[in-house]
Amino acid sequence: MAQEKVELLKGTLDMLILKVVAAGPIHGYAISQRIQQISKDFFQVPQGSLYPALHRLEEQDWLEAQWKDTSTGREAKFYALTRKGRKQLETEVSNWERLSDAVALILRTAE
Amino acid sequence: MRWLRRLWQKSLTERRLDSELQFHLEQRIADYIASGLPPGEARRRASLEFGGLERFKEECREARWENHLEIFARDFRFAFRGLVKDRRFAFISIFALALGIGASTAIFSVMDNALFEPFPYKDSRHLVVVRIHDRDSADREWRGAFLYPELREYMTQNHVFDAVVANLEDDIIYTAGETTFRFGGDYVTPGTFEFFGVPAFLGRALEPSDFQPGAPPAFVLRYATWVSQFQADPALIGKTFNLNGVSRTLVGVMAPRFAWGGVELWLPRSPDAVEVSPGGRFRHYWGMVAHLRPGVSRREAEADLTVIAKRLATLYPEEYPKRFSIEVDSFAHAVVPEQFRKILYVLFAAVVLLLLIGCANVANLLLARATTREREFAVRSALGASRGRLIGQLLAESFLLAAGGAILGTFIAWAGVKTLSAIMPGFTIASETVIEMNASVLLFAMAVGVGTVFVFGLVPALQASRSNLQDSLRDSGKGLSGTVGRAGLRNAVIVLEVALSLTLLFTAGLFVRSFLALQEVHLGFQMDHVLSGRIPLPPQRYQNAAQLNSFFRPLLTRLKSVPGIAYAAETSTRPPYGGLRSVVEIPGKTHAEQWHSLVQLCSEDYFSVLRLPLLDGRSFTETEVNDGGKLTVINKTFQRRYFGNENPIGRRIHFRVLEDFPDPVKDAWFEVIGVAADAQNLGLENPVDPEAWIPYTLTGTGMRGLLVRTTGDPTSMINSVRREIWSTDPNVAVAEPGTLDHFLNLFTFAQPRFGLQLVVIFAFIGLVLVTIGVYSVMAYSISRQTHEFGIRIALGAARSDVLKMVLRKGLQLVLLGIAIGLAASFAVSRLIVSQLWGVSPHDPLTLASVASLLLLVGLIACWIPARRATLVNPSAALRYE
Repeated sequence: MAQEKVELLKGTLDMLILKVVAAGPIHGYAISQRIQQISKDFFQVPQGSLYPALHRLEEQDWLEAQWKDTSTGREAKFYALTRKGRKQLETEVSNWERLSDAVALILRTAE
Repeated sequence: MRWLRRLWQKSLTERRLDSELQFHLEQRIADYIASGLPPGEARRRASLEFGGLERFKEECREARWENHLEIFARDFRFAFRGLVKDRRFAFISIFALALGIGASTAIFSVMDNALFEPFPYKDSRHLVVVRIHDRDSADREWRGAFLYPELREYMTQNHVFDAVVANLEDDIIYTAGETTFRFGGDYVTPGTFEFFGVPAFLGRALEPSDFQPGAPPAFVLRYATWVSQFQADPALIGKTFNLNGVSRTLVGVMAPRFAWGGVELWLPRSPDAVEVSPGGRFRHYWGMVAHLRPGVSRREAEADLTVIAKRLATLYPEEYPKRFSIEVDSFAHAVVPEQFRKILYVLFAAVVLLLLIGCANVANLLLARATTREREFAVRSALGASRGRLIGQLLAESFLLAAGGAILGTFIAWAGVKTLSAIMPGFTIASETVIEMNASVLLFAMAVGVGTVFVFGLVPALQASRSNLQDSLRDSGKGLSGTVGRAGLRNAVIVLEVALSLTLLFTAGLFVRSFLALQEVHLGFQMDHVLSGRIPLPPQRYQNAAQLNSFFRPLLTRLKSVPGIAYAAETSTRPPYGGLRSVVEIPGKTHAEQWHSLVQLCSEDYFSVLRLPLLDGRSFTETEVNDGGKLTVINKTFQRRYFGNENPIGRRIHFRVLEDFPDPVKDAWFEVIGVAADAQNLGLENPVDPEAWIPYTLTGTGMRGLLVRTTGDPTSMINSVRREIWSTDPNVAVAEPGTLDHFLNLFTFAQPRFGLQLVVIFAFIGLVLVTIGVYSVMAYSISRQTHEFGIRIALGAARSDVLKMVLRKGLQLVLLGIAIGLAASFAVSRLIVSQLWGVSPHDPLTLASVASLLLLVGLIACWIPARRATLVNPSAALRYE
């Protein structure tokens, strides 16, 4: 692989998926593309992690899935956020912010 | 219900997963093509990137719960295979569990239905009966029925009951055209049907208006009678029936379980009417049932009623003992005879023990299996099986065992309840009782059994997680004969089982011996080919001796001319019970205490019908009976006790009771003309009492019956006898016709036989369980010692030495159990001594035989596994894990 890819931090993949899905119903392939795109190819989401994660989130009722036609006319599985999922996203984002603030603070002041 | 659909459409989920991943792949390829790659290269790159499709799929599947179900199913398949492999263990455990569950449920269901909840009546727990006890008498009970004026006092003067009803049983003669039948009927007081709160099945119950003076006579019928005697004809409601000469309207058929008093019909009885016409008895005693006021205890009720009773005792001094007490007892208790209640309690204790022993056996078997599997579980956990997965597998195994035991146990309980209700003697329980399986008891027994299986089934998982893995791998399964620890508990169970089994077997043995002894009682008369029946004569037309004679004399003559009838006689009681007890006086004899004798009213052929031999003198002639001669025949006991060696023929005897009759025999002095052989006259259990026979034509008082000796099958003559009765008087019916054999069976043998059957069944179950117990423990400890045996044999021990060693150990336990069982047996036999007859409660023969039986069973249970162990090839045994 040409570029250097960064492994996702454990637990952050779920949050990123939820965040991407929060924008509206979206299928698995598009989720991986979006994460890669938005992070400017910084994050590479392997299929081997993506799909088990999607199924796990669906099992936990944070995502709900529906089979719909794509713009090309092919049927695909679209994921959408449930109300529980939205709440989960909020807590995870606020946790993440507190964590990254704390890390940043340490990095800035410990020099 | 999404999960259910998903389970159902498992293949659909699988297909969806495929197409989702396929979609991803295709999009990737499309993107590569769009960026300018040739289609072949695009496909190759995308597939490479994607990697192993199957692995993702598995990971996706694991995220879903269906997967757990699969693990679950796999555990079950595995457990099932394990149990099939160890078939003997599985079969024995399930069987032991099922026996415990089944037997305890069956017996408890019977007890609950018969003793605690026999009645379908409103608030039947608060229904009570009242009894008067004689404080100076050994058997205490004086009476539980009351004269009508007494009844009225108790009903109106008490402060403890909110309702009281009473019944008076009477023979009801039903005349329909040419035929006449007898029914058992109860006159009931107003409010009876409201009191019991049972609605009619058809029509209506008796209502307050039916009890008003001048109301049109009405009655209600019992459901069972309606079905058996009237073909369940609903058109009968509103029809009139001639009952005891009164035309009464049938207003209703009661609900199937309504059977108060065990009679066939109920008639209203206005409380203000004077005594109901006497049906041949001297005085009418009413049965009484009351409903306790809420919050009133039985003791308080007794205190309140005692005040009333003290007053009544001054009004009716002859009706009360000198020193008496009042007992208020629950209705349910009062109906079931005390002795029978005791049998049931003893059985209940036995059955609880059986349940416990069954569970102990299963626990034992599971523990044994756990120990032999220590190594297996150590290997599994070494290979990475988590504790959760081990527990899961064991749970599956326990579940299979428990389910097997519960299902088989339910079946045994069901069959047991059916059998018990079939063999239970009818008159020992209330007629209302319906014996059915008690679901909550079944659940309780199952919970105990299933709980045992789960608790002890999980032992290997605990061991695997707790014990040192290496130790387990190294030396599991190689026990030595001296190993203690858990073995102590197992041995204790064996000893306990043997002791319990011995107690049960001993009790059963005593019942068998006592039953056989009863059947061997020499009756003194010949019971075969004798028909008997009670003849309740319509009291209006048959009040005095002459009227009575005008019926019996032609009837006896007619009967004697019927082909197939050898002899026919009048009698006042049915053998083996003799007549009324009377104080006797004999001139020239002085004695401190009162002399008593039974007095029986009979006709001249009485002795011929029963083939009762005359030892001295002669019997009555037909003329003497017809003329009412004051002559008497006495039995041997009478002669021996009151005349000694003197010749009684020609002596005179006075029977005081005859002068007290409503239709009295004046100057009741009789001349002895004969002495008859002794025959049982107080039932089978009691010694023969002095008895005297006198001509029946002397008085119109007392119950009358017929005894007929037939040449052929007596039951086939019942209708001929009926016809002759009707042609003598079309308005007379025979009550309870049947052979003497039949009545003896019904009233004398039924209860002991029931106790016998139950105890024998129990003893058998106990024996089976003890065999399982001894066998399982021995088989287990022997299997652990196979290694040791191998060494011993390899070092030169003879196989017989090893066999002896094993048997000695097993027999030590069995003998200890027998010793404890002997002690327990003596304690228990004291409880059932009232049920025994003709056998000592410490009968050495019974004791010796049950002890040897147990010893033999124990020996076999030890010998089978021991023999197998010694047949092992020493080199194989040494390798044995």
